Amino acid sequence: MAIPIKDIKLPEDSPKELLLDKHVEFIKRYGKSDDDYEFGMSDYLRMSGMYWGLTALELVDKLHILPENDVIDFIKRCQDPETGGISACIDHDPHLLYTLSAVQILCMYDRLDAVDASAVVNYVTSLQLPDGSFTGDKWGEVDTRFSFCAVATLALLNRLDAIDVEKAVSFVESCKNFDEGFGSRPFSESHAGMVYCCLGFLSITGRLDIVDRDTLAWWLCERQLPSGGLNGRPEKLPDVCYSWWVLSSLTMLGRLHWISAPALKRFILACQDVETGGFSDRPGDVADPYHTVFGFAALSLLGFDSIKPVNPTFCMPQHVIDKLKIKHQLL
Amino acid sequence: MHGRLKVRTTEEQQLLKRKEQQKKLMAYRLGMKQILESRKQDTYDPKSLAICAQLLMVNPDIYTLWNYRKEVVLLELKADNDESEQLANFLENELKLTEQCLLANPKSYGSWHHRYWVLARHPNSNWQNEFDLCSKYLTMDERNFHCWDYRRLVLNKIGITLGDELKFSTNRININFSNYSSWHYRSTLQALTADCVQDELSLVKSALFTDPMDSSAWFYLRWLLSNSVVTHDHMRDLLDNLNQLLELEPECKWILVAKCWLLKNLQMDEGSYKTEQIASYSKLQEIDSMREGQYVDYLKLLQLD
Ligand SMILES: [Zn+2]
Repeated sequence: MAIPIKDIKLPEDSPKELLLDKHVEFIKRYGKSDDDYEFGMSDYLRMSGMYWGLTALELVDKLHILPENDVIDFIKRCQDPETGGISACIDHDPHLLYTLSAVQILCMYDRLDAVDASAVVNYVTSLQLPDGSFTGDKWGEVDTRFSFCAVATLALLNRLDAIDVEKAVSFVESCKNFDEGFGSRPFSESHAGMVYCCLGFLSITGRLDIVDRDTLAWWLCERQLPSGGLNGRPEKLPDVCYSWWVLSSLTMLGRLHWISAPALKRFILACQDVETGGFSDRPGDVADPYHTVFGFAALSLLGFDSIKPVNPTFCMPQHVIDKLKIKHQLL
Repeated sequence: MHGRLKVRTTEEQQLLKRKEQQKKLMAYRLGMKQILESRKQDTYDPKSLAICAQLLMVNPDIYTLWNYRKEVVLLELKADNDESEQLANFLENELKLTEQCLLANPKSYGSWHHRYWVLARHPNSNWQNEFDLCSKYLTMDERNFHCWDYRRLVLNKIGITLGDELKFSTNRININFSNYSSWHYRSTLQALTADCVQDELSLVKSALFTDPMDSSAWFYLRWLLSNSVVTHDHMRDLLDNLNQLLELEPECKWILVAKCWLLKNLQMDEGSYKTEQIASYSKLQEIDSMREGQYVDYLKLLQLD
């Protein structure tokens, strides 16, 4: 009853070079498409959408093509005066996911002064539960993704001292599984997205020692499929975004060389849309800014000359992290 | 956006589609506006709540809309502390909405959370019903981790023990060895002890012999072997089994990888296994070239010893 490996085949005619200019156009157009259906219907994640697009632009030194002031004004208007948290968009509620995205953007522009940073710190602190975990907002959903958002936000604001780090670490540790990977809560199955969040969390808190490095790196490098792409869990299809979660995790563990870089490059390049620009999850699907930034970021870790170095923990340009002197651990 | 195939359309089709989309976008924005207005009041109007449901059925990821509903649920609960029929109907309606959202999008974090949040506040929550719902969703997609997580949450509410779940897990694995989620779930159900380790090894072995090319059980095996209750006798036994299997499947990388773990563990007191490990890693380098870097690292370590 041999089960064939779940994978895709790269089309013969898929792109083999990086279509840089097309991607820049793609993001520029996306940011201006107020009447566009996809854009209009995705306001509930706008702040993250902006972080994806702007980070992608900065990675290829094109941040200046979008008006900085508009971005900063928008972020200012999204800070909730009551809680200090930041929302995805005006008229939406504050949430940790968008608070981190906003702070990441502000760091890129070196404009942390634009928001009330101490109110942001209070917001993050208010979301820690007695067991050390974090909820995404006041409505109580707990997830290791939010543990990452919390410490990443605080680290960027240089205020990690504001929370109980030790308890936060023990919660994340309690989400570690038999395969040394992590899920969203205790007993939840390992998933590359949560593995990235938890390793990122441990990188920021300087506690990567709690994982068995080679066992987890083995699980991670086994995500690479014959097509060259990486999946997020065993027996799943490859995807550009999972390629980033896995690749950044391997980088934090110092095991980037455990997968085949040329094969992954081929896969990611094949996910470019030659007509519209942008990357999609798999060849032939619709491109979006989310897969575009993770495509860029993964290619950066693989050493692409035309893309600036990216930081594996924060998924931000390395020079921004260097300039702010943000401490974090890499193995 | 995931798994959305790009389709070629004629200009005419595009025009029609764009018109349709403009309508939907307008409706979305109007709906959001009305809900926002209603949210500013201390009471809520049923019309806004109905619009909210419609919008969520199209896209359950609009988190602010779930927040609005939770505010309304809290209002209802506060207004109605005598557990009336009206309240029961109201809450039932919330549960139905999440079910509809989950049918369309079983991976929506917001829908799962709302459902649990409502049930946790429900004066007569029917957890058995939730358990059955989980089972239904697991048959549709046995890898849906939201569903597995939810099952775990519901268990203790209806008095199902981890021991019962262990039996459930054995059955599932016997029906289908190739399901990583089942192996993961199993690993969370019991602490490995000297008493149960033989059974676990047997279960893994039967999976490995059924289909050595399938990865799931190999991950479980690595975990078993990392535990101190596994004795050298167990390991020598397993090594014999793997050597037999290797004769049947000489190109199967998983067998070679597992052999190396065993050889390394056994080597601690019986130093003669080095050459075999080197041979296995060299072979792995050849048949699994994508992960060459890993095997080279292990070869270097062996040569340093
Ligand atoms: Zn993806």
